[in-house]
Amino acid sequence: MKIKGVKNLRALESLMKLNGLIPIYRRPLALVAILSTPFSFLFFVDIFSDGTQLLAGSIGGLIFTVINAATMLQSDLLFGKIDLKFQQMVSTTGISPLTYVLGMASGDIVFILPGAVFFLAVILYLSSAGILAILLIVASAFLTWVFFSLLSYLISRKVREMREIWPISVIFGIVFAVLPPIYYSVYSIPIPVRYLAYIIPTTFAALIIKDAVAGAFFSVLIPLLIYVAETLAMIFFATRISDWRQRTI
Amino acid sequence: MSIPLLVKDLVKVYSVKGKNTKALDGLSLTCSRPMILSLLGRNGSGKTTFVKIATGQLLADSGKLEIFGHNVIESPGEVRNMISLVPQECRPWGHLTPREHIYHYQRILGNTREGSKDRTQYVADMLNLGSIMDTEAVNLSGGQRQLIIVGMALSAEAEIYFLDEPTIGLDIITRKNVWNAINHYKKMNRTIILTTHYLDEAAALSDEIAVVSRGKLVAQGTLAQLREKVEYNTRIKTTKGLIGDSLKGHGRLLQDEEYEILYTDDSMVEEIILSAGLLKSHVEISPIGLEDVFISLVGESIDED
Ligand SMILES: Nc1ncnc2c1ncn2[C@@H]1O[C@H](COP(=O)(O)OP(=O)(O)O)[C@@H](O)[C@H]1O
Ligand SMILES: [Mg+2]
Repeated sequence: MKIKGVKNLRALESLMKLNGLIPIYRRPLALVAILSTPFSFLFFVDIFSDGTQLLAGSIGGLIFTVINAATMLQSDLLFGKIDLKFQQMVSTTGISPLTYVLGMASGDIVFILPGAVFFLAVILYLSSAGILAILLIVASAFLTWVFFSLLSYLISRKVREMREIWPISVIFGIVFAVLPPIYYSVYSIPIPVRYLAYIIPTTFAALIIKDAVAGAFFSVLIPLLIYVAETLAMIFFATRISDWRQRTI
Repeated sequence: MSIPLLVKDLVKVYSVKGKNTKALDGLSLTCSRPMILSLLGRNGSGKTTFVKIATGQLLADSGKLEIFGHNVIESPGEVRNMISLVPQECRPWGHLTPREHIYHYQRILGNTREGSKDRTQYVADMLNLGSIMDTEAVNLSGGQRQLIIVGMALSAEAEIYFLDEPTIGLDIITRKNVWNAINHYKKMNRTIILTTHYLDEAAALSDEIAVVSRGKLVAQGTLAQLREKVEYNTRIKTTKGLIGDSLKGHGRLLQDEEYEILYTDDSMVEEIILSAGLLKSHVEISPIGLEDVFISLVGESIDED
């Protein structure tokens, strides 16, 4: 008798290997490419602020890196669905679509892990963050990963051709990881526009980390609650509509 | 006991950007016992659409589809553990070897490490994959890559295997390896639903053949039963011009650049030969084959298109 949980773990492990570990091992260049984007932002932030904004830049870099994983997931899910038709083969194994997405997303985590750890290290080096702050940083990164991986999954359900995804991914990156106040302070945005920033979940991701690093744990509470609620809503929504079957594939 | 496959009045319309395509127009099929059932039909006749619905990839509009009594339209989840699939135009991951493909597919199916390794070896032996097992798929030929997909699908222990053009691009020897594997599974009481454009393959493997045209079943049965559905059971093939239009009334005449083929009744053959003044050595007389049956059954649409 196969126990469902064990079965899912086996699937997760293999999907992580197929989509993460094995490709990194065989094609390490991708790792360099993925690391380089947030670094270039950090580079500009550093130059234009004369080094004064390096901490803010690293926080932005961390979030950008996590968003990168979600962007990669979009192409990976579509590659599996459209190019390889691997998704069709997986669907007959009995695992759920969300297990599949989680497995593929875990594979992408492997790619961004070195970058994320690097930015975390810089943040810790430049601040005096303690254990609680570290936990909050990791929690923020984790919520970001869950929220945006699921969003990527929802997007991938709608796309039917490989070429459609690159403009979507570029816009996705700009909307969630460039425009919102993750490299700079949300308070530098004039008021009516600031409310717009609050619509974008990564704004909270950055707020949580910034306040945590500054030791302002009370101010973390509200953004954290909002972000957790948003992520739970996303999980609920994704679970509701996740189905291997679609009207057209 | 419920039967492996029951399809009744299945309808599927694709609506893409305001354009509707009726891919299945009331398809009905049955597989009343474990067997190899081949689905034949021209491009676009709805075979893949059917396979996608049956394997829980695609929502149908209406109709009934049961696999061992389970309603696939209502709850496809129940049958996922009973089926395995070679999707049409499926490709392996470039950076993985055949061994990794089959092994990890087994793991996704929930098998243990040891079990997965054993199963991988079993498939490798069955399909003669030995020499390519550890080569990355990018470095394999198209046919070898296709074989990986077949290997993955056959590694699953299912009740029904849906194989959508599994042997496309395979050389004849490799194809025969796949045929052997399919026959082997049939002997183990598995059902195989096969779509193929290789009619020799369908003729060699199938217990029954279902001919589909424009999303509908045209005929289903053994090759012998299908032959009887066709108006004429004998073909007379000659070089062009020997029979000519004069004998049109005796059957159905097909002409191409070099040959002409008269489909007729075996009782008419002697008379035709005599009246056309043909020498037996100038004509090829044979019972109709699957190709002739296929053309007769779906042939109308050739002229229409
Ligand atoms: N994803 C799709 N979107 C829109 N139309 C489709 C799609 N897939 C197939 N069709 C249409 O449905 C019909 C049946 O296609 P298909 O089932 O792939 O046929 P077959 O496998 O027999 O060649 C065709 O007319 C095709 O154009
Ligand atoms: Mg097809």
